[in-house]
Amino acid sequence: MLTVGIDIGGTFTDLVCIDDETGSIEFGKVLTTPADPSSAALQGIETMLARLGRPARDIRNLLHATTLVTNAIIERRGAVTGLITTRGFRDVLEIRRENRYDMYDIGLEMPPALAPRRLRAEVAERLLADGTVAVPLDVTDAERAVATLADAGVEALAVCFLHAYRRGDHEQTIRALIERVAPGLSVSLSSEVVPEIREYERTSTTVANAYVQPLVKRYLRQFRATLAERGHAGGFFVMLSSGGAAAVDTAERFPIQLIESGPAAGALAGSFYSDTLGLPDLITFDMGGTTAKTCLIHQGRPRTTTDLEVARLYRFKKGSGLPIRVPSVELIEIGAGGGSIARVDRLGLLKVGPESASADPGPACYGRGGSDPTVTDADLVLGYLDPEYFLGGAMPLDRHAAERALRTRIAEPLGLSLEEAASGVHAIVNENMTNAARLYLVDRGETASGYTMVCFGGAGPVHAYDVARKLGAPRLVYPAGAGVASAFGLLVAPFSFEVVRTDIARLDRLDVRRLQAMYAEMESETQKFLENAGVAGGDIAFLRSCDMRYVGQSHEIRVPLPPMDDGTGLTAVLRTAFDAAYVRLYHRANPGAAVETLNWRLIATGPRPTVRLKPAVSSGSAFKGVRQAWRGEAGGMRPVPVFDRYRLRPGERFAGPAIVEERESTAIIGPAEIAVDDHLNLIVTLEAGS
Amino acid sequence: MIRDPVLLEIVWNRLIAMVEEQARVLINAAFSPIVSEMQDLAVGVFDRRGHMLAQSISTGTPGHTISMATGVRHFLDRYPAETLAPGDTLLSNDPWKIAGQLNDMTVVTPVFHGGELLALLASTCHSIDVGGRGYSADSREVFEEGLTIPVQKLIRGGEPNEELFELIAANVRAPREVLGDLRAQIAANEVSAVRLAAIMDELGLSRLDDVSSSIRGRSDGAMRAAIRDIPDGTYRHAMRLDGFDEPIDIVAAVTVESDRVHVDFSGSSPQSRRGINVVLNYTFAYTAYGLICAICPAVPVNAGTFEALSVFAPEGSILNARFPAPVAGRHLVGHFLPTAVLGALAAVIPDRVMAESSALGAASIYGRNDAGDAFLATFFSYGGYGARPDKDGLATTGFPSNLANTPVELLETATPLVIRTKELIPDSGGRGQFRGGAGQRITVETRSAAPCQVSCFFERIRHPAQGLRGGAAGRPGRLVLRRADGSHDDLHPKGQFEFRAGDLLTVELAGGAGFGPPDRRDPSAIAEDLAEGIVTA
Repeated sequence: MLTVGIDIGGTFTDLVCIDDETGSIEFGKVLTTPADPSSAALQGIETMLARLGRPARDIRNLLHATTLVTNAIIERRGAVTGLITTRGFRDVLEIRRENRYDMYDIGLEMPPALAPRRLRAEVAERLLADGTVAVPLDVTDAERAVATLADAGVEALAVCFLHAYRRGDHEQTIRALIERVAPGLSVSLSSEVVPEIREYERTSTTVANAYVQPLVKRYLRQFRATLAERGHAGGFFVMLSSGGAAAVDTAERFPIQLIESGPAAGALAGSFYSDTLGLPDLITFDMGGTTAKTCLIHQGRPRTTTDLEVARLYRFKKGSGLPIRVPSVELIEIGAGGGSIARVDRLGLLKVGPESASADPGPACYGRGGSDPTVTDADLVLGYLDPEYFLGGAMPLDRHAAERALRTRIAEPLGLSLEEAASGVHAIVNENMTNAARLYLVDRGETASGYTMVCFGGAGPVHAYDVARKLGAPRLVYPAGAGVASAFGLLVAPFSFEVVRTDIARLDRLDVRRLQAMYAEMESETQKFLENAGVAGGDIAFLRSCDMRYVGQSHEIRVPLPPMDDGTGLTAVLRTAFDAAYVRLYHRANPGAAVETLNWRLIATGPRPTVRLKPAVSSGSAFKGVRQAWRGEAGGMRPVPVFDRYRLRPGERFAGPAIVEERESTAIIGPAEIAVDDHLNLIVTLEAGS
Repeated sequence: MIRDPVLLEIVWNRLIAMVEEQARVLINAAFSPIVSEMQDLAVGVFDRRGHMLAQSISTGTPGHTISMATGVRHFLDRYPAETLAPGDTLLSNDPWKIAGQLNDMTVVTPVFHGGELLALLASTCHSIDVGGRGYSADSREVFEEGLTIPVQKLIRGGEPNEELFELIAANVRAPREVLGDLRAQIAANEVSAVRLAAIMDELGLSRLDDVSSSIRGRSDGAMRAAIRDIPDGTYRHAMRLDGFDEPIDIVAAVTVESDRVHVDFSGSSPQSRRGINVVLNYTFAYTAYGLICAICPAVPVNAGTFEALSVFAPEGSILNARFPAPVAGRHLVGHFLPTAVLGALAAVIPDRVMAESSALGAASIYGRNDAGDAFLATFFSYGGYGARPDKDGLATTGFPSNLANTPVELLETATPLVIRTKELIPDSGGRGQFRGGAGQRITVETRSAAPCQVSCFFERIRHPAQGLRGGAAGRPGRLVLRRADGSHDDLHPKGQFEFRAGDLLTVELAGGAGFGPPDRRDPSAIAEDLAEGIVTA
């Protein structure tokens, strides 16, 4: 049988297929079809199956990552969405948090709400912070509100009542009522989508869920139906933002959990490499055409967060997008890619990105009319890219155009030589990525010294050496098959589901019995989701954690929780764990201060699939020749040996500087020991502390 | 000077990233929602002479940031380099030296490298309480407003100055939050100090003097180049505010001469007998802020950015109050200085200014819940943002200060208050080719048996935001208390009152003003406003 992973990205759809019995592996890459993303995916599957001579019924499991949800929100292609709120709170979405994301830009803009004001209705009801009912739900009022919105043409309805993270009964009554008054309407309740305190963020998330729900439902159903027509009867699963795979039913109920589906697949590729390399702690560095992403893999798993933002108006500027609170792999994304544009600013300084020449017109060297110098142009001038071997020779590059752009826009205004200008662009884009990655590490109380960096994406291997050294990572890995890395991630995604409950209580007054009952309920809830996906009850592992803070603080720290079966000593264990985590982040604990608990979390996870790869090596010498390339440590152009990735054998060792070329990317390696491992990964040992 | 533009870009970016991280640590570790949710703070790194090199711009409020930029030198006056040692941290809240009110605590940590003073890391945070009569604009002298802390060592060689901590704790209503926030400020500086040392090592730097002169020189140069693009001349603007009891006039003359800008506030009202007075350092901060927004907003702000700017306000005027004038509500006047500056510059660069915005509204509420525990909550909210030359104003968005609100659900969890409504006010944004942003209405009740004490800080009740270039004024704000017996009063917008169970407080925050004549508004925008119900006719 076969396992197939499909990662539908903005430009390309990547496919990976593994034969479960032999471990042999097949790649595919087709252009994405934005109008109906499943069409490219289906075409890719067919091509791949034809190559293997296998029928669609041989596919045991198909796992699928998609940027559908993010793109629908960015491009505003979702459903006509209404919102029902507590009386007096219809405008929560527009009042937002009232602050600006840039202090000096008086012309700034905020993203328009996904549910316009005319489709937001209020209902008489009110819960208090302790969960008591101050005003019972007025059902007649609610019926009127639902009928009005239905008449106005809404396709999806979000319901978000104040303090509904405490109890969902008012919201559930609305759902029952909608099923009666306006059947067929898609409904999202805040108490189910994200039962967390803070009304703006919860409303924003619930509305986004409603907004994409009809679209996702349609898409998944159609995709599956077409596959079934072709004989596929196996499993069909979707990658959630959290890095877990889920059955279609979960994806249809909580489509907002697909918001980072694609990047999650990339992060899980980190998990995959962590397995094959036998290294539990990794930093992934994924640099493509417009952005670079970095994710921490700790103990073989990506770190997770619930603090996301989508559709930022000012690219990458925190605060300019819509907040989304769902469990997600935690990664940072910055505007640094091969297409990032270099320029001289009004201070006479060299700046790179975040503006990108993207695919059209693209870097100057693409010869499609682009005149702005980009990172790819600099890489070409520095000899890092072979103009005749870009994408394996499928796309020749125009070196003169790259030189012209860099000379006129950068070198001449700054009084630098062409190569100095290009190396400046290369250094600054690396610096931008390093700064972002370092900030991310430091924010989590980590340093790079305990982590190995794994690089992928088209531009990742060109820039990783410098970034890894600047960050202080002791080792750098250039994995085989980096061009379709995200699709690998899908093959190792365990089935998992996460739930959360907000219960604010002082730690020293913790009601352990109530807590146990709550966790028992959460366990049975998550178990149901996983059993739906075909995981046997006995194979499910539960991971509990609690967000805690000192009383008075409003930012919490996540502390792992022991199993609930024996509650004795729990308070002391949590206090110790919290203080220790606090010291790690902020140097000093506050031993006298009381601690409170906020969100109780449970992640249920099925077993992680194991994959064995059997890659093949071509015969012949790997040495391709020597070319002039910029060597930062020498401060000039020097001859550097060039190798063919497909002819390097397991166990081979050589020394950098070296250029290693493959179809989708080029590894630029400075002075260092390079070893080829059994999986054909290049392992580069960097000097400690450099 | 550092001539290599690549190296300078790298160092500069590192410093900016470092202070952004420092701000994040501060927010995460803070104990009061004023810092952790509303982000009433500023963070910066300074060279060893007290020149600011970088500040956090994604969070924080400009009054703090710029007043800290020009105020940190006072810490060095009191404790010159030779009296500082590794592990020291200094504290002061002197209004005349830094941020213009006692609630703003500035914490400064010297950083040493190779035995020499290298830099200073600083933050200013709005403390929830400093004693006295509580946070209120209703005092007659600064002594009533609470405890003044001249520049003191809060930490000596790594050992906390427990006497000072005890003294502060004994003087404030909410010691847990007040000391917790100070500890968060200390932690943020310490985390940043470790980071700075690593940056120095990695880039092979031993001092920041060259970096400092290069950063400041380039920013100064960029600022002057931008000023040169503005035609020379003196541009005037006057505006009238509610004031405490009598209206306050702000009169600004902005003179552009070659590559310098001078702002003269002669003719503005004399200082007030109540706490709405502004110290000169704070006047400079918000004046400079307005100039930077209009002239050169994209240049990173540091000490160099201010060199071409100067400000004059007569001593004894509302914008240069003499000690011991009460100053707790200084933002009720100071926040309008950017507006005054933009109003003046509208005559010469109309495409780079905005119409007048509403104002920050604040209420500080102190009482006991039914369990007998004291609570103290300050909550901030905004009205509408002024329209821009090419787009509408934003609903409920701060200008010029930049605070976030406290989520209703958090406020209700921490206090016995219940917010009954928090909604946009239709027709509150001033009309124009581009419409002012909408203000909001908030109604509040308390469920505690014991009455609470409420201090108000509201403006734009009698004098609404004025439009530009034919745009209409926004709707003014209002403050009404309806008692359980059905009687209702318009409250003094800067006074204190008792708030009891059964009372309903309604706060209406003003709308932003419009830009350009209303008859030039795009018909599709008019239709959209009507459909959204944000304009009703």
